[in-house]
Amino acid sequence: MRASLFAILALLSAVGTGSPEEVTVFAAASLADAVEEIGRAYEKDSGNKVVLNVGASNDLARQILAGAGADLFFSADRAQMDVVEKAGLVRGSDRIELLSNVLVVVVPAAAPTRVGSPADLALLRRIALADPEAVPAGVYARGYLESVGLWSALKDRVIPTLNVRAALAAVESGNADAALVYRTDAALSRRVRVAFTVPAEGGPGIVYVLAPLVISRKPAALALVRRLAGPEARTVFERYGFRVLAPR
Amino acid sequence: MLTRDEVEVVLFTLEVAALATLLIFPLGLAAALALARYRGPGKGALETILSLPLILPPTAVGLVLLEALSRHSPLGAWLAARGIEMVFTWKAVVLAMSVMSFPLLVRSARTAFEEVDPRLVGLARTLGCRPAAAFFRVTLPLAWRGVLAGTVLAFARALGEFGATVMVAGNIPGRTRTLALAIFHDNQVGRDDRAAVLAAVTAALAFAALWTTELLSRRLGRRPEE
Amino acid sequence: MIEIRVDVPLVGSELHVEADLPPAVTAVMGPSGAGKTSLLEAIAGLRRRARGRIACGDAVFLDTERGVRVAPEQRRVGYVPQDAGLFPHLTALGNVRFGARGDEGRVETAIETLNLRPLLPRHPASLSGGEKQRVALARALATSPRILLLDEPLAALDVELKERVLPYLVRIRDEWKVPILYVTHNVGEALALAGHVLLLRDRRVESQGRPLDLLSSPGLSVEAEAGIENLLPGRILGHDAAGGVSRVELEGGIPLSVPLAATRPVGTAVVAAIRAEDVLVSSAPVKGLSARNVYEARLEGLERTGVDVTLRCALAAAPSPWLARVTPAAVQSLGLKAGQPVWLAVKSHSVRLL
Repeated sequence: MRASLFAILALLSAVGTGSPEEVTVFAAASLADAVEEIGRAYEKDSGNKVVLNVGASNDLARQILAGAGADLFFSADRAQMDVVEKAGLVRGSDRIELLSNVLVVVVPAAAPTRVGSPADLALLRRIALADPEAVPAGVYARGYLESVGLWSALKDRVIPTLNVRAALAAVESGNADAALVYRTDAALSRRVRVAFTVPAEGGPGIVYVLAPLVISRKPAALALVRRLAGPEARTVFERYGFRVLAPR
Repeated sequence: MLTRDEVEVVLFTLEVAALATLLIFPLGLAAALALARYRGPGKGALETILSLPLILPPTAVGLVLLEALSRHSPLGAWLAARGIEMVFTWKAVVLAMSVMSFPLLVRSARTAFEEVDPRLVGLARTLGCRPAAAFFRVTLPLAWRGVLAGTVLAFARALGEFGATVMVAGNIPGRTRTLALAIFHDNQVGRDDRAAVLAAVTAALAFAALWTTELLSRRLGRRPEE
Repeated sequence: MIEIRVDVPLVGSELHVEADLPPAVTAVMGPSGAGKTSLLEAIAGLRRRARGRIACGDAVFLDTERGVRVAPEQRRVGYVPQDAGLFPHLTALGNVRFGARGDEGRVETAIETLNLRPLLPRHPASLSGGEKQRVALARALATSPRILLLDEPLAALDVELKERVLPYLVRIRDEWKVPILYVTHNVGEALALAGHVLLLRDRRVESQGRPLDLLSSPGLSVEAEAGIENLLPGRILGHDAAGGVSRVELEGGIPLSVPLAATRPVGTAVVAAIRAEDVLVSSAPVKGLSARNVYEARLEGLERTGVDVTLRCALAAAPSPWLARVTPAAVQSLGLKAGQPVWLAVKSHSVRLL
């Protein structure tokens, strides 16, 4: 908080001298690598500094409501952005629905597990999910399992984790037999393999929403928003496996 | 007041905390006695190691436990070979609580044992007591207040344990969710009101535990001639 | 017989004792720091680094050469430290019973001997120094010990208390028939109780022998305290209420007039305590003195004790010499010399019956 305040003051007091600004981005855990890469490119071009705070979107929303000094919020679902908008910290007209993703079932790379259909999940003992009560990845996963009528059978085997990366880690360490994570997360780990891909059609509608916070209207923040929504970023996101939604 | 799930969380927390305290009791007393009497080399190192969970961040301790239980560690492999699962089960909760509470018990008990005049123990020996008997008939009765205080402290600490627990047992509703974890979870999903209720319950439990010690210590401690 | 050939490492030095002691009462004496307490602790088994041989009759406690080291709990040694060392969390009864292993008979006898019945339900914190010592003694006796190790049991008591507890020690010696090692600074106690003296100095044995023989040793004399110095066992002969006195016959047939003690039946064994300061010495026969007790004696020896002089006077029939304390000026003016006859006078009032 104090950092961005200082940055604003520094900016105001250094009119036209081009001294570096700091932009703080709160981004969903699954976006960590992609946003970091894009952020570094932006830093090189603009001379500004990007501070990245990643975590479960519900956790981030809570921090923002508590007064954490974020300039941008990049949520993994609409619900958490709604929470922030309802508190008046984001303007509806500023929201950009930027990305989508795909859910997959991962298992330890060396395990012989076969998941031919969702029903096969019932054969697994421990399934890690990001907390299905509030973390977008978990909410999506639960929504999907409910839609195929498997949730009540599986919910006792669910191990809820703090965020989607923690679910991935549980499988990597062998403490869980499988996890439902984003395809983008699975792609980053060599210790897991994808056993099943949740079909996009009929699957949960995964939408990542980006918005600047009302409190901070600094030019650097808005510049970063434009950057994230721009064509160079699109290439990066697609390389990581995200699906870029058509621009508004 | 409390939902049925929340009542279960409370009962579960009490059970595992009690179990953890029970487990560390004999070990803790033995360690405390050893530290009180031993005067040889390596004593300082031993004291430091036993005190580590007190000063390390609980998450660091949780990490160590996680490593110790993983399949590529000797302990983890041994457990896996026997089909015993600890991570993400109530057993891991008990383990985390035990490790974090252990130094508290040891410290209190050790001070209590050190305050017992060692000559009395020697006298008990000349009166026919083997070392174990001397401990139970002389040292322990004279040190019971400190031992009790340490035990209750350990229990209260176990009740509130979070950092190591969440790492090694996870926050699984109905299976490993203790009061501390439930408070965290309620806050995470935006249910701060329930979190506050549970926090109040935890405070009440800790208060009750400490108050009982006070009462016990005063009532049983009154000598006949007072 | 009690065999002691032991080396005990201490802080900065080592205690080395070689002695064979009779199975009766031995007074262990010597200046502070001589090693008396360490010796008792070694015999009790509380000094783990002691080396050598300690045997009490047939029972071998320690024999380093043969690899024998018996744990303290198996030695059956009754150890009473200087401050009694009672267990604060137990009553007097609880303390006495502590090592008795259920032998209530022994416990009862110990309680009787030390007259503890009224004290039994009380906790040590509420007991006086003398009472604590008695409880500690009973506690040791109740274990049927092979040997009693008493570390200055009367040292922490004032003179009055000393006089009250001493008879119990006499009783223990006479009724329980247990060998006793008795550490003391007090010559009078040693004379009253012990048949043998072991003298330690600088953590070595300086000498041992009969109490009388060792009395001339400078070490003993320097440590002699003001207090009881004449302890004379005897029996009540009769009471003279009108005259306000009772008559006692001391060992050797010596008559002694004491303040009326009508409560004690004729024939009761007593110990008469007379302070050395209260023994008047005359170089000529005494006549017309109010003192009832006048005796002819021979001055055996004189000794400087602190600022005074202690005179050792042998009465014809008495088993041990009487001690009288006078100023150096008196010695000079009377021209007192060893070997000369003297007359001793003691007022009845100066005698306390123990």
